[in-house]
Amino acid sequence: MSVEAQQGIATPRIPAGLGGLLPALMLIGLFFVVPVLALLLRSVTDPAPGLQNYAALLGDGTYARVFFNTFLVAAVVTIVTVLVAFPVAWMLAIMPPALASILFGIIILSMWTNLLTRTYAWMVLLQRTGVINRALMGAGIIDQPLPLINNLTGVTIGMVYIMLPFMILPLVGTLRAIDPMTLRAAALCGASPLAAFRRILLPLSLPGIAAGGLMVFVMSLGYFVTPALLGGTSNMMLAEMIAQMIQSLLNWGLGSAAAFVLLVVTMALYALQLRLVGARRTTGGA
Amino acid sequence: MTQPFLSIRNLRKAFGAFTAVHDVTLDIPKGEFLTFLGPSGSGKSTTLYAIAGFQDPTSGDVLLQGKSLLSVPSHKRNIGMVFQRYTLFPHLTVAENVAFPLRVRRRPDVEIKRKVADMLSLVRLENFAERLPAALSGGQQQRVALARALAYDPPILLMDEPLSALDKKLREEIQAEIRRIHRETGVTILYVTHDQEEALHLSDRIALFREGRIEQIGTGEDLYLRPATDFVAGFIGNSNFLAAEHLETVGGTSTIRLADGALVSGISANGSFERGQKTRLMIRPEAFRLERSPNNAELSVEIVDVAFYGERRRIVARTSAGQEIDIRPTSAALAAQEVAASRRPVFFDPGAAFLFPA
Repeated sequence: MSVEAQQGIATPRIPAGLGGLLPALMLIGLFFVVPVLALLLRSVTDPAPGLQNYAALLGDGTYARVFFNTFLVAAVVTIVTVLVAFPVAWMLAIMPPALASILFGIIILSMWTNLLTRTYAWMVLLQRTGVINRALMGAGIIDQPLPLINNLTGVTIGMVYIMLPFMILPLVGTLRAIDPMTLRAAALCGASPLAAFRRILLPLSLPGIAAGGLMVFVMSLGYFVTPALLGGTSNMMLAEMIAQMIQSLLNWGLGSAAAFVLLVVTMALYALQLRLVGARRTTGGA
Repeated sequence: MTQPFLSIRNLRKAFGAFTAVHDVTLDIPKGEFLTFLGPSGSGKSTTLYAIAGFQDPTSGDVLLQGKSLLSVPSHKRNIGMVFQRYTLFPHLTVAENVAFPLRVRRRPDVEIKRKVADMLSLVRLENFAERLPAALSGGQQQRVALARALAYDPPILLMDEPLSALDKKLREEIQAEIRRIHRETGVTILYVTHDQEEALHLSDRIALFREGRIEQIGTGEDLYLRPATDFVAGFIGNSNFLAAEHLETVGGTSTIRLADGALVSGISANGSFERGQKTRLMIRPEAFRLERSPNNAELSVEIVDVAFYGERRRIVARTSAGQEIDIRPTSAALAAQEVAASRRPVFFDPGAAFLFPA
């Protein structure tokens, strides 16, 4: 009732507010909407008008492989990120706030460190004669160096590392809202730690996992630097392909079409997230 | 000797340098409603948590029907518990919350359905089965928590200040529910509270905690009418403490001298005192009489204030030694204007007064 009443009062103000929004709308229009439209236009006009660029993209097995690989990497990175982030987020959620804020500081600091530097650091660690392989061989655990770089393993490790903060931060928020007493109650009800996790903690943390997971997935879809440096030629991702098309092949039409497909997929996923989160809010669950 | 149902043996719990529970030993018969009463930090919740398995005691043991519970993890202790805060599972409906302990025990669906219906009718929430906890009032949530804790017929139900978040009227309503449920189910209840009235209303016996030890254990009447220490006397009910000097104790009764010089004899001896030892005489406010009767001691006071409290009046008076005391005669005992006279004697039965060391 009160919400409706407030909205009723607020409605007449919107036309007046539009004038104030105009500079911001112009900025968004000029720098975001116009370029995207230009991109779309280019994808259907370059080199000749028509949908041949899209036909080539979706019809060709090589391009299909790149699309598949892009989704595979994004999915693997998202799953591994969730698995690694969950225990970290849980620890941050239940530890004393003073200690937690120090750890938050460290995590945020890693986000501020240059992406290239961090990716090169992983190259040093992961290569055949890198720190990890030499340590494992020195300890006598392996005889041959493990193939940790220029493949899916390398891309996954490097990207999970970069994506972790984007997963941990929303998840900590969700986990902090869960009263630890709820888990004690579950234990006394007879739930083993595993059952309490599966039936109570996991369902209650799903909104955070969904929010963080979708963000990581969408960011991973368009990722360039890390896959280019840590991945191999056989598992090229979409962003690399776009760069190659435009930089090396000067095929602006095909590159634009690929970029537009990526944009549409990203927006579709974002809409899905809005729907899921919105639905959960209205039912009052979690 | 028969084996006690639940037995707490020399329980001790230290957190670093702080000892929350010093040495608690307690036997609880089956079906009893026992309350742990005490100020905050007296160790009552810590003792309860040791029984629940949330905190391992530093030493001592907890035995259920002769078997130690300490090596049994919380989820296998089969104990019911209602918490201070609302701990319902927010993503599950009322019915699913009550069904939860049965689901994790993998009971058949038919049995779960029947038991959930029974439990919801026990706490009178049959019509709320499909609601989410957020759509319930605080009192309703605690009733669901009670239903959830009893759904698997636990031999013991622990309650950790379950009513402290509720307002007074709701508290009294749910106290009556808890008494009824205890009567109907016969479950053994260990109840923690810092509210002495709640303890007196609900319990078969009360264990009064003080600084990690049990100061006295007994029925509410024992603690009220026969307090073992001045702490018990001060914690349960209202009490007046008058400074007094012990003169002698002969044949189970003591003689003392009050601060105004008056001698009082016939006080039931409660411990042993030296001649001339400084003591405190405890008299309940309702034990004072305004009329002289045989064998009563007399105390000269100045009336400071008279207030009307319905069934009783509350008189604030000052002794000639300058100490304020609280007197609560029944309203029928006399009309207000009669006590307005500023100086007058009041009377008390020395047998209903207690002597404690100062």
